[in-house]
Amino acid sequence: MSSPLLEARGLVKSYDDGRIAALRGVDVRIDAGEYVAISGPSGSGKSTLLHMLGGLDLPTRGEVLFRGSPLGSAVDLDTYRSRQVGFIFQAFYLLPTLCAAENVQVAMLAINGRANHRAERAAALLEEMGLKDRMRHYPNELSAGERQRVAIARALANDPAILLADEPTGNLDTANTAHIMEILRGIREQRGMTLVIVTHENEIASSAPRHIRIRDGRIEA
Amino acid sequence: MRKTSNVMARHLSFTGFAWKNLRRRRLRTLLTLVGITMGIGAFVALVGFSRAFEHEWMRLYTSSGTDIAVVETSFINTSLDESVGPKIGAVPDVAIAVPMIFNLIDLTPDVNALVYGWRADSYELDSLSLLSGRRFRDGQPEAILGKNLADDLKKRPGDSLPIQGTNFTVTGVFHGGTALEEGAVIMPLDQLQMISSMQGKVTAFHVRLRPMPAGEAYDRYVKRAEAEIEAAVPGVHADPAADRAANNQLVALAHSVAWGTSTIALLIGILGIANTMAMSVFERTREIGILRALGWKGRHVILLILTEATALGLAGGFLGIAMGWTALLVLSAMPQTASIVSASVAPLHLAESLLIAIVAGLVAGAYPAWRAARLSPVEALRYE
Repeated sequence: MSSPLLEARGLVKSYDDGRIAALRGVDVRIDAGEYVAISGPSGSGKSTLLHMLGGLDLPTRGEVLFRGSPLGSAVDLDTYRSRQVGFIFQAFYLLPTLCAAENVQVAMLAINGRANHRAERAAALLEEMGLKDRMRHYPNELSAGERQRVAIARALANDPAILLADEPTGNLDTANTAHIMEILRGIREQRGMTLVIVTHENEIASSAPRHIRIRDGRIEA
Repeated sequence: MRKTSNVMARHLSFTGFAWKNLRRRRLRTLLTLVGITMGIGAFVALVGFSRAFEHEWMRLYTSSGTDIAVVETSFINTSLDESVGPKIGAVPDVAIAVPMIFNLIDLTPDVNALVYGWRADSYELDSLSLLSGRRFRDGQPEAILGKNLADDLKKRPGDSLPIQGTNFTVTGVFHGGTALEEGAVIMPLDQLQMISSMQGKVTAFHVRLRPMPAGEAYDRYVKRAEAEIEAAVPGVHADPAADRAANNQLVALAHSVAWGTSTIALLIGILGIANTMAMSVFERTREIGILRALGWKGRHVILLILTEATALGLAGGFLGIAMGWTALLVLSAMPQTASIVSASVAPLHLAESLLIAIVAGLVAGAYPAWRAARLSPVEALRYE
């Protein structure tokens, strides 16, 4: 059997010298091109799991394998995040001093490349997100939906294998939620990317082909 | 074409990103710049001044053809008995040894000048060119003035000039080879001994050596002559003229004041940058977390913070050079200081100042950059 794209084995994450357990032994396999929703109540550990899968943090015990190689040892975390993973956050996390186009390019600065290429790619991605006329606007000049679309363009900047979205519609109204979800599904279909969405919205979770429920740091189903 | 350029996004470079971060808090950046500018400005002006001062002393010796200066062994307030002159003159390689005194005297409340006491027959007078009047005579209250000093004091031959309570007659105005001479008063040795209560004492003997024996290197020849002089007259120290310029007590004092003051000013400037960068890293904790989430390595973050700190240092360096140079120009134009300040700054000194500015930025940015790179991405993203 070929190894999955991402695999979590016996993930345990505890804080405060073990007094707080965010994950209590999680095993997950995610294949290339899959669309997975992770849901659960607040504090259930779903965001922590996403951080581990994205190489933002290392587990206290257990390991995350990317194409069969453990993150943090065989796979360098920074390189993994810059080349294989695109993050999308609830609060968008755009840099306020940079315009939309520059916010997309900043992700590419970590990877050496020609400045022209970076600018062209940022422009193409923003155009794809329907933000052709908003490229030189700063985050405070954009609506919430537009900001999240800039963040999606940024997540795609280095053409990653996996998109990890942490409550991507948490700060959006119904119309923008629908729009962003349509964009994310479209990206997955067109690019064949693996999409993992953490959400507490049942509607979004149930629309995914695979739905993982997490409670008290353990997977329910 | 136009349509395409509308779609093209603005380029973002690493340095462009750093620049945007600096522009974000303009007042703070500006105040930090003022700090490092003052530090570099002080370095350019003070160290530049002390080096130019040393250089002028050196030229003073070389233009008069002095090979060796003989002083008392003790460094501070060197004074020798005038009577040892003949002993120095009797050393085989010495062609001539002339006694001299130099002093810094207030001529008016606004103008202080270097005052030399020379004998009327001193060979050193030959290196000056008289523009008007005549030389002074031994035993007479007479003096000749450098051109700059004469202009500042508005004196011409025949005018009277009171110095330390004695009325001197200006007998001539001369053009000297150096800024020091241009702003100096030269009077008979005996007169300067009298007004500065140094009867029978001199500051130094200036020695001209006999022509070098064929085949001997100048440095070796001078060294041999020094040893001969020191052996002939116990308790004296014979210095090559070039070293004497550097060891001259006024020059040494100028060097230590200049380095001391500019080091303090530079330290304050470095602390300013360090404080700004530390504040900036603290305020941007979450943004650093975002960059790390996007795959920036610790070294990219370090490079960003160091680029910002170095840009501050470099900008402060250029502004400081402009400030220091302006200060030297102003000082060299003021009558109180014109005689000892030259407006010229050596290119090497400017390069050194820029290098110090860059190093100052790197040193100041090092700790904040290290801290920023150590932030855990998750912790930084959670930071409110």
